[in-house]
Amino acid sequence: MKESILEVKNLHFAYDEHHTVLDGISLSVFAGERIAILGSNGAGKSTFFLNLNGVLTPAEGEISYRGTKITRKTLKKLRQHIGIVFQDADNQIIASSVLAEVSFGPMNLKLPRSEVEERVNTALNYMNISQFKDRPPHYLSGGEKKRVSIADIIAMKSEIIIFDEPTASLDPLNAAMLEEVLEKLSREGKTLLLSTHDVDFAYRFADRILVFDNGRILADGTPLEVFKNISVLKQANLKRSLLLDVCEDLAAHGLFPKGSFYPRDFSEFHTYLAQRNSF
Amino acid sequence: MHMHHHNTGGIAIDSYACNSRLRHISAGFKAGFSMLLLLFCIFADHPVISVLLILFAASVTVFLGGIPLHDYLSVLGIPVFFVLLGGIAIAVDLSLQPTGDFYLNLFFCYLCVTYAGILKAFFLMLKVFGAVSCMFLMTLSTPSHELFSVLHKIHCPSLFTELMHMIYRYIFILLEVQHNMQISAEARLGFCDFRTSCYSFGQIAANLFIVALKKANAYYDAMEARCYDGTLCFLEEKKKLPLPYIISSGTFFLFLVVLWLFIR
Repeated sequence: MKESILEVKNLHFAYDEHHTVLDGISLSVFAGERIAILGSNGAGKSTFFLNLNGVLTPAEGEISYRGTKITRKTLKKLRQHIGIVFQDADNQIIASSVLAEVSFGPMNLKLPRSEVEERVNTALNYMNISQFKDRPPHYLSGGEKKRVSIADIIAMKSEIIIFDEPTASLDPLNAAMLEEVLEKLSREGKTLLLSTHDVDFAYRFADRILVFDNGRILADGTPLEVFKNISVLKQANLKRSLLLDVCEDLAAHGLFPKGSFYPRDFSEFHTYLAQRNSF
Repeated sequence: MHMHHHNTGGIAIDSYACNSRLRHISAGFKAGFSMLLLLFCIFADHPVISVLLILFAASVTVFLGGIPLHDYLSVLGIPVFFVLLGGIAIAVDLSLQPTGDFYLNLFFCYLCVTYAGILKAFFLMLKVFGAVSCMFLMTLSTPSHELFSVLHKIHCPSLFTELMHMIYRYIFILLEVQHNMQISAEARLGFCDFRTSCYSFGQIAANLFIVALKKANAYYDAMEARCYDGTLCFLEEKKKLPLPYIISSGTFFLFLVVLWLFIR
């Protein structure tokens, strides 16, 4: 059993009295997990993320990171361990040059200058944006801005990184690059939480999927468990991953092993088919 | 370097500054030297000094900074209108008697012009252009955010410098939002006649205000998420101050002072 690093207990949140956004969320996040959160618009995903980071204060319930409850006093210490990459990079980028922007987090952690420099340069190299160092953010393209906003969080060396709809409004090339970065971060032991509407991406990337519906967790399990649960998909208005559909269809016609092997992405699928033909 | 050029005055200046080849030089030095020249131009009050400064600023910006001459002239063209208008106002006098070297009868009074007046106005305009050139020497080689840092270093209250940072960044965000709304209004015939244009303009302005408030909230959330605690602090790159630049600018200034002592 892996250690649980983030505990959420019975979280309630409302922007105003009549409108409950989070309605009793309980969850344990384990070190190194790759969690995808699915759910329709307005299901409470973004609000949940802002609660985890302490930007929004829950009306009820508690959040604890490694046994320490998040309160006003411990907030700042915890924030550096839980970073958020916002959906709209333009709402995140505040400084007038890329270098200054990436340094904002580490500077707020009151680190010595040499340490800040080192972290910023590492983060810029990590995201491959060192050449834009001096450029003002408004002269960057959408994909470049996204990379800057990720470098922002990498420079803070957070243990848990939250991505709010990271693939939204990215072109295929940038989306593929983003997936590579996520893989790399995951390999380095970071715990990743991301929300997405791209079920295929969630299916191949995540090892755990949460389905949000009206401020509650409707399902929590491996991608296979979630996508095989038709009633959950129906209630949350989710589509199934295309690959899963294809495999099940093939299995129904006896062209694929039934219920034992489910490739996560198309390359696994191809490898399987190639091996099968060689017999 | 590839950058999007918006063809609106102030923003064009910003992109020139970012592309300038003089950008790697210490912002404090550039700002200090330009201000020194500007003050000297006003203090010296001599047409030769003014002309020299106009030529100096133009050649440094164009040859060393690498900004195309045509672009430089068009940026310099922004203040021309004001300077000319001011110059005319100084050169021309109103009087009840016909005096001066030329006059124009307006029935109830006379517009009078003297040679001395024209010369005075001309010299004044030169001085103004000299000073403006010195200003552009700075703004076309130093991006705004580096100037803010200079202000911060000379102990300008951090409230002001922080506001400058945020306003600067925000201008571009709001301009983009406004631009998009403008296009979408245009696509729906929002500017087909004068009445509709006025209405669309009002709608866009009102919407922009609401968007600004919403964005400000989102922005603050994002800042808080990165441990913002009330003071904006950024890492600044330490810029070089090459010795040749110090020597040559020092020599130039000395030359100006000596020249001025002879010709005044």
